[in-house]
Amino acid sequence: MATVTLNQAEKTYANGYKAIHGINLEIQHGEFTVLVGPSGCGKSTLLRMIAGLESISDGEISIDDKVVNKVAPADRDIAMVFQNYALYPHMSNYNNMAYGLRNHGHSKSEIDSKVREAARILQLEDHLERKPSQLSGGQRQRVAMGRAIVRQPKVFLFDEPLSNLDAKLRVDMRLEIKNLQQRLGITSVYVTHDQVEAMTLADRLIVMNGGVAEQIGSPIDIYEKPETLFVAGFIGSPAMNFLPGKVSDDRTHVVVGDKVKLDLDHDVEAGRNVTVGIRPEHFRLCGDDAGPVSASVRMVESLGAETLVYLDFGIGNENVTLRVQGTHQFAKGTVLKLSITPDMIHLFDTETGKRI
Amino acid sequence: MYQSKWRIFTNHAILILGALFMIMPVWIAFASSTHTREFVFQNGLQFWPGEHFFENYGAILFDASATKGRVTALEMLFNSMVLGLGFAIGKVIISMMAAYAIVYFRFKLAVPLFWVVFSTLLLPLEVRIVPSYEVVASLGLLNTYTGLILPLIASATGTFFFRQFYRSVPDELLEAARLDGAGPIRFFIDILVPLSVTMIAAIFIIMFVVGWNQYLWPLLMTTDDQLYTIVIGIKQVYNSLYEGGQIPQFPKAFALTIMATIPPVLVVVVFQRMFVKGLVETEK
Repeated sequence: MATVTLNQAEKTYANGYKAIHGINLEIQHGEFTVLVGPSGCGKSTLLRMIAGLESISDGEISIDDKVVNKVAPADRDIAMVFQNYALYPHMSNYNNMAYGLRNHGHSKSEIDSKVREAARILQLEDHLERKPSQLSGGQRQRVAMGRAIVRQPKVFLFDEPLSNLDAKLRVDMRLEIKNLQQRLGITSVYVTHDQVEAMTLADRLIVMNGGVAEQIGSPIDIYEKPETLFVAGFIGSPAMNFLPGKVSDDRTHVVVGDKVKLDLDHDVEAGRNVTVGIRPEHFRLCGDDAGPVSASVRMVESLGAETLVYLDFGIGNENVTLRVQGTHQFAKGTVLKLSITPDMIHLFDTETGKRI
Repeated sequence: MYQSKWRIFTNHAILILGALFMIMPVWIAFASSTHTREFVFQNGLQFWPGEHFFENYGAILFDASATKGRVTALEMLFNSMVLGLGFAIGKVIISMMAAYAIVYFRFKLAVPLFWVVFSTLLLPLEVRIVPSYEVVASLGLLNTYTGLILPLIASATGTFFFRQFYRSVPDELLEAARLDGAGPIRFFIDILVPLSVTMIAAIFIIMFVVGWNQYLWPLLMTTDDQLYTIVIGIKQVYNSLYEGGQIPQFPKAFALTIMATIPPVLVVVVFQRMFVKGLVETEK
C-alpha cells in the first residue's frame, strides 16, 4: 500500500509541446484512481510519468512521500499493465511472470511460490508452460496482470488494459480487475477512454482534457455535478444535451429557443446568457396534456431496455436526446410533453464553460 | 483456385525445365569428376558417373599434389570454413549491436551516422580493397585468419536489416522490460536476441555464402598456401591444368569444384529449416 502524490507535475516535450499542465493530485492508500479523457488529453502521458517511462519536466511526483522524479522505473516499486499486453513472446507465461523477480534477485523457490500463487489467483495454473501466443486475449491480459501481481508493488498502473478485448470479455475482466484490486488493496491508477470502465472502477475519477485535470471527484459526484461543460459532455452516455438559454427577468425560468421555458431554482442573475445542460435520462415523459415542454420527434432508436428519442426543440438542426425506459413507438412528428425538475438542470457560463 | 490439368502440367514442365537447366552443369561436373583424366580427355565431358569417385575425391582431399599446391582440399575447406563462419558470425554480432545502438539509444548524430553506414552499401569491397590491404599489411596481419576476416566484418546490409527488425519490435516490450528491472544489456540478451533468431538465421545464411565465395580478398591477403581458401584453390588448379605437358587433370578439378559447393548448400538447407520454422512460430 502506498500513496502517490503529484505536485504541479508538468510535461513538456523536446519539441515544445506541453502535454501536461501542472497537475496536483493525492492518491490515498489502496485507492483506485481512474484517469479518463479523450485521445490526446495526456492521460497516458501522466501515467507514464508516474511509471517513470516519461521524464517529468517540472513539479514533483512522490510515491509514499519519496520524490521519484529521478528514480528508474524498476526502482519505483510499481507494476504496469499495458494495452497490448507487452508479454515477451518467446518466453513461457511462467517466465513472463518470473522475469522481473529474477532481475530483482529473488531466490528460485521464492519466485516459484509467487508465480504459482499469482497463477492460482488468476486461474492460469494450466497455462504456465505455454507461450503467450497460445492463449486467448483475455488470458494474455491475465498473464500481464500476473506479471504485475507477483512483484507485490506499491502501485499498480493500468494503461487501457481492456481496449484490445471484445465487449463481453471486457465486462468480465473489468469485474475481475475491480475484484482483484479490492482483494489485494493495492493503490492503482487506471487510464481509460471508456467512461463505463471509468465510472464502474473508480473510487476517484479524474477527467482530463488538454493536459489539465478538469475535475477530480467520485464518479457519482462528477456525474451529478460536472464542473465544466467538457466534463458534463464527456461523462454520461448518451451525452448531456446542451441548449443555449437566457435567464428570465424574474430569475424563475430559463428560456431555451423561442418556445421552451424551464423552471429554475438556481441562484443566477436575471438576463444572463447561459448554456443549459440536461441529461437525456432526466426528462420525464408526461401524459398528453400536462408537461411544460413540448417537442416533436425526429427519430427513435430502440435499444430494448430503453429507447432513445431525438427531439426537435426548435433550436435549429440540433437534436435533443431523450432517454426513456422500456420500448416505445413514436411516429416521426409526434409531439411529446416533457417535464424536468429544476435540480436536474445544469447551468454553465456560456463564455467560460464553468458550472453556475 | 481451380487449375486445369493442362495448366498444372505446363506449370510443372516450366519448373522442371528451369531446375534441370540450373542443375545440369553441376551434374555434368560431378559425373565427369568420377572418371580418369585420360577418359575425360579422350571422350569429353561425361553425363554418367564413372568408377573413380573414391580415387579422385580421396586424392583431392588428402593429397596436396593433386591440388597443384602444398595444401590438400581438406585444409582449404577448413580455411574456407574459418573464413565463412568468422565472416558470418562476426557480421551478425557486429551488425546486431550496431543496430541496437542506433535504434535504442539516443545519441547525437545517430541518424547521420546510420546513413553513413547505410551509404557504404553503395561501395563494393573492390573500391576499398587497396586501402584495406594497406591497413592490414601495416598491422602485420597478412597471411593470418584475423587479417582475412576482420576487415570484412562490418556489415551495412546486416545493420540495416537488424535496424528494420528492431524498429518493428513494439516499444511496450522495452518498457515492460524496464519496469521488470532489465538494463540495456539484459534487454538485449534476454529479449531482443531471442526475438531475432529468424533474422539471425537469415543473415547468417547470406553472409556465410558471401564469405565462402570471397575470392579477390583472400587472393590478395594470402600469399601463403597454408591459408588458401577452396575458392582460390579451384583457381589454382584450373590455372595449372595445361602445365607440364601432361594430360589435363579435369576430373580432379571438377571434384574440387563440387566439394567447394557442398558446405554452402548444407548451410542453406539446415538454416533454411530454422528460418522457416522461426517465421512460422514468431509472433510479436
